[in-house]
Amino acid sequence: MSLSHLSFYPAFTLSNLGLAFHRTHLISTLLCLESIMLSIYIALPIWSVENQTSSPTLITILIVAFSACEAGTGLTTLVASTGTHGSDHLHNLNLLQC
Amino acid sequence: MAYFVLFLGIGFVLAALAVASNPSPYYGVVGLVFGSIVGCGWLVSLGASFVSLVLFMVYLGGMLVVFVYSVSLAADPFPQAWGDRHVMGYVVGLGLVVGLGLALGGLEIKFGVETIDSVGLFFVRLDFSGVAMLYSCGVGMFLVAGWGLLLTLFVVLELVRGLSRGAIRAV
Repeated sequence: MSLSHLSFYPAFTLSNLGLAFHRTHLISTLLCLESIMLSIYIALPIWSVENQTSSPTLITILIVAFSACEAGTGLTTLVASTGTHGSDHLHNLNLLQC
Repeated sequence: MAYFVLFLGIGFVLAALAVASNPSPYYGVVGLVFGSIVGCGWLVSLGASFVSLVLFMVYLGGMLVVFVYSVSLAADPFPQAWGDRHVMGYVVGLGLVVGLGLALGGLEIKFGVETIDSVGLFFVRLDFSGVAMLYSCGVGMFLVAGWGLLLTLFVVLELVRGLSRGAIRAV
């Protein structure tokens, strides 16, 4: 694995694992989602430089725009949960009992 | 210089480790901010200065600021710290997973990477010209992204509406 790939492959894997584990707060999950997006953002100019093409940087800007949408929606869910239950603990989201 | 770039790359992985194994959202946000700063430095070392500045201003200065004050809304008054046994178990476990992946995947560090200086007849750097294509070739996606951002505004307004019309309503 070349050096440039070494910086974002472990970061992406760690963020996915952090997203998957059980947590107390909802916002810890949202932080791991942002970390996934950040590692993809770092990875795209590497691809652009390695292949000497310029279009992956276009995808980078679009990723930032849609990640802003996703972060806003996630934080809105956090605010809604805090407004109803007083906190963003994940055990408050207990309608699906299985 | 190559060792400084290696240091930045390792710093990015450590920041992702800090976010994934955070004892409290306060420390997770610190890890994310550190990862953004180190990632910007890494992109500048590649020569991609424009996307690095976009990351700084839009991501770090816009989105992460919103995350930081949302964390103040949502986190505990007495957070756990890095030294607790539960947290250190997460850190060691996640670090071992990454180390196992690298050991199985083959670890050959090759220094030296190409940069994106202009080559031949072009006088514009690679990342500038790529983002400029958003307005010429990718104008359809540009309009879709703008429409999606406007739509998200209304989505957010509907989600926080109270009185049994929003999300996560028990009433």
